[in-house]
Amino acid sequence: MYDHTAMAPVLEVEGLSVGADLPEGMKPILQDVSFSLRPREILSVIGESGAGKTVLARTLASWLADPLKVTGGSAKFRGTDLIKDAAAARKLAGREIAYVGGNPAGALDPTMTVGAQLVEKLRAVRPEIPAAQAKQKAIELLDAVRIPSAAQRFHEYPFQYSGGMMQRAMIVDALISDPALLIADNITQPLDVTVAAQILKLMRDLTGRFDTAVLFICSSLPVACDASDEVLVLNKGRVVERQVPEQLVSAPQHGYTAQLIRELPKLWDTAEAAPQEERGEPRPIMSVRGVAKHYTAKNRAQGGTNVVQAVRNVEFDVFQGDNFGLVGESGCGKSSLMRLLTGLERPDAGTILFEGEDIGSARPARIRELRRKFQLVLQDPYGSLPPQKSIGAILEEPLKIHRIGDRKERRERARAVMSEVGLSEALYEELPNGLSAGQRQRLNVARAMTLEPRLLIMDETLSALDQTEQHKMLDLFERLQAQHGFTYIFISHDLAMVRRVCSRIAVMYLGETVEVAPNERLFFDPGHPYSRALLSAAPTLEPRRYLPEDCLLEGEPPSPIDLPPGCAFASRCPHAFDRCRSENPGLTARGGRALAACFLNPRRGEDAPAVLTTPETSHA
Amino acid sequence: MFILRFLLRRLAQGALIIFLVSALIFTLLRVVPGDPVRLMAGGMAPEALIEQIATDMGLRDPIPVQFTRYMSGVVQGDLGQSFVRPANGAAVGGASFDDSTRSARAEVWDLIAETAPKTIQLACLAMVFALMIAIPIGVWGGLHPGGWPDRIALYCSSVFVSLPNFWLGIMLALLLSVKLKLLPAIGYGGFAWTILPALVLAIEIAPFIIRSLTVSVAQIMGQNFIDIAGVRGLSRNQIIFRHGAKNAAVPLLNLLGVQFSMLLGGVLVVEFIFDYPGLGLLTINAVMQRDFPLIQGIAIVTAAAFVLINIVVDLLSTLIDPRLEY
Repeated sequence: MYDHTAMAPVLEVEGLSVGADLPEGMKPILQDVSFSLRPREILSVIGESGAGKTVLARTLASWLADPLKVTGGSAKFRGTDLIKDAAAARKLAGREIAYVGGNPAGALDPTMTVGAQLVEKLRAVRPEIPAAQAKQKAIELLDAVRIPSAAQRFHEYPFQYSGGMMQRAMIVDALISDPALLIADNITQPLDVTVAAQILKLMRDLTGRFDTAVLFICSSLPVACDASDEVLVLNKGRVVERQVPEQLVSAPQHGYTAQLIRELPKLWDTAEAAPQEERGEPRPIMSVRGVAKHYTAKNRAQGGTNVVQAVRNVEFDVFQGDNFGLVGESGCGKSSLMRLLTGLERPDAGTILFEGEDIGSARPARIRELRRKFQLVLQDPYGSLPPQKSIGAILEEPLKIHRIGDRKERRERARAVMSEVGLSEALYEELPNGLSAGQRQRLNVARAMTLEPRLLIMDETLSALDQTEQHKMLDLFERLQAQHGFTYIFISHDLAMVRRVCSRIAVMYLGETVEVAPNERLFFDPGHPYSRALLSAAPTLEPRRYLPEDCLLEGEPPSPIDLPPGCAFASRCPHAFDRCRSENPGLTARGGRALAACFLNPRRGEDAPAVLTTPETSHA
Repeated sequence: MFILRFLLRRLAQGALIIFLVSALIFTLLRVVPGDPVRLMAGGMAPEALIEQIATDMGLRDPIPVQFTRYMSGVVQGDLGQSFVRPANGAAVGGASFDDSTRSARAEVWDLIAETAPKTIQLACLAMVFALMIAIPIGVWGGLHPGGWPDRIALYCSSVFVSLPNFWLGIMLALLLSVKLKLLPAIGYGGFAWTILPALVLAIEIAPFIIRSLTVSVAQIMGQNFIDIAGVRGLSRNQIIFRHGAKNAAVPLLNLLGVQFSMLLGGVLVVEFIFDYPGLGLLTINAVMQRDFPLIQGIAIVTAAAFVLINIVVDLLSTLIDPRLEY
């Protein structure tokens, strides 16, 4: 590895303290933070939410807004103190100190082309560069971050970019002025794992090429360890340790780090048994067969409409008492499928049987009756609760809708579910706006439970919560399942969570179920190359069973408007051959109650192809 | 290509709208009480004569027949002739049913073509004044939401919106024309006669523009891309004028389109107060004289103006913000 110590540090932070100037007094956010950063060095900063990571990033980018104030210390950038000399700091912002945030979607003006804004930014910080040269540089960099046909994409608007491409464009935006320091604040958080892995690799390549130092703010320890040369652990506003990743993982010095590592869910841990399928009762509670749904969208360029194939060929069974997992990246049709499963929309084709009755073709009144037995818990803890209703009223509403019980009984039922999910009964009259995200999700679960359903569909219910809170919620789910015999469907992009709780898992890619398998089988012997790609990109500290370089080609998924004729994954699959590009494999059984849609799987009587029989070697 | 398809579709829609407006106006005019022939021929004319004139003019035919006849003229660009106004100027109407000059009645199209430019001039000037008042106040308020510029914007618009236009018109005429002798107030004799009514109209519509601007500017300035633009190294002026203003322009443009259409269609009170010979005054007189062809003509022309203004506004909006689709 490159020897950082030979160069003078770009950034020296000494005793930096930041506080929130609130009416009740100064509340410390960062306390006595010190570290230094040399050119080409990538330093990760990790810590739980509220540890002050983003405040640190913003302080260095001269982007502190009221009520936050620096209360002490210094941050010297090549000798200039960014704290004392605010004017100089603002001049450096965007020029020498670049910032990339975690929300690429709204980061550029929607009414100007991406290219024009890149040029505008470069010329704002380096007016001496002529426009033509700026444009050339922007296109070169867009090309360097592997945006396909960069010269053409230069003239496109932000809304024409996908999330991953937008994040790449923002990296270009940051690097275009040749900054000495790049502050990357949670840049991979909104991205899918396979895209995030590519972005991280890219960031490493680019910083090596341009001698940039990187402060990599991150909330996931595996991602931080993957991305950086050293990791700084921030806890409650203080630096608790700084180590190289290998050492941090093997010998954490601070209790908080040790706890973080201990709580980290593992993908390939055989010590703890994976949830087993319920073999006693093989009757499916929900059975999905050949379900498809398309939406039409207007096409601006050519006129007419585009057909978006959101869901197609989806097949799986959910058995009584199971924890069924539905995983896939954004845009794979998980949420569209959720809308079909809950009867919010009707499929174009196929059947969705719930206890033998087809939800897809049932009368609206019947669907409403059936909904008593299957309930939905949504992802967003803030948008999914009515803000003007008391918690008690929220919980009683489902009972009112279904005309169950009188006022007193409903009240009792509401109090009972509140105590079951761990909400204090004193909150009964309160509005939900005082609740934390975790409490809100408990309330959402409680609301779904009041009707005593048999099936709960959890659409990314845990993804807005931090690791500790997720643990508590999963324990709660387990307890509720033991008490009430719920069946869960977890819709998620989080493989570690699915690995921990689900007994049977379906993997979706571009609207299709490409693999349906029991937990152990999926993680140790995946039958579809996409499942393997997903596993290879999952953030984990464990030795990897699958290497990203072997599992995934560069690029992003094809658009669901313009699907290739054969297997949808063929364009990114390293093992694709001619047949994959012309014919859709479809789900086929591969023994042991596992199904996968890949030609490489041995059909009955055929020999197994070599690529699938050798397990990939691990690396440290 | 996109623009061509857009124009075709919108013009077709517009034609339909104008057709419906004409049908509605045409039918309603003939259903409400008040016989135009009685007004034309005068109170003293014998009943038989009135019936004869009405039959001659086709006013006793069934409404669909009359409407078909009228629309076939409109399609050829003929809006018909005024019932009341003679071609040589002075509006007579009234008692002289046997007046020999009455055969030469004014063409509706000519009447509109004569007055519309004055109304357009008034509307444009009013718009310019309104923007001159509203943009500084509105943008300033929007840049400091919750602060005192925001409150000033609110107070200004409250005051403006509560001033009745007839009162304001009279007061301004009294102050600027009678006392200070700065501007002419009554009638029309050149550009200077437009200023006073335009000022009254500007104060009437400015509050809406101020309100819309403060809200949209405040909303745009709170967006992520504006927030992050400073960190990216853009200067405050670049952020406000290149990104903030551009994004805030779309809602403003839509509002201006509506306001401008309203100015064209019916600045009745203000034109009446200042005796400004525009479309508004023409409308008032036409209504009072039951001049069916003229009312219909004005309705069709203003409806067409509405349609065209909306098309222009939507086209400009898509040019500013390519995400919009119309």
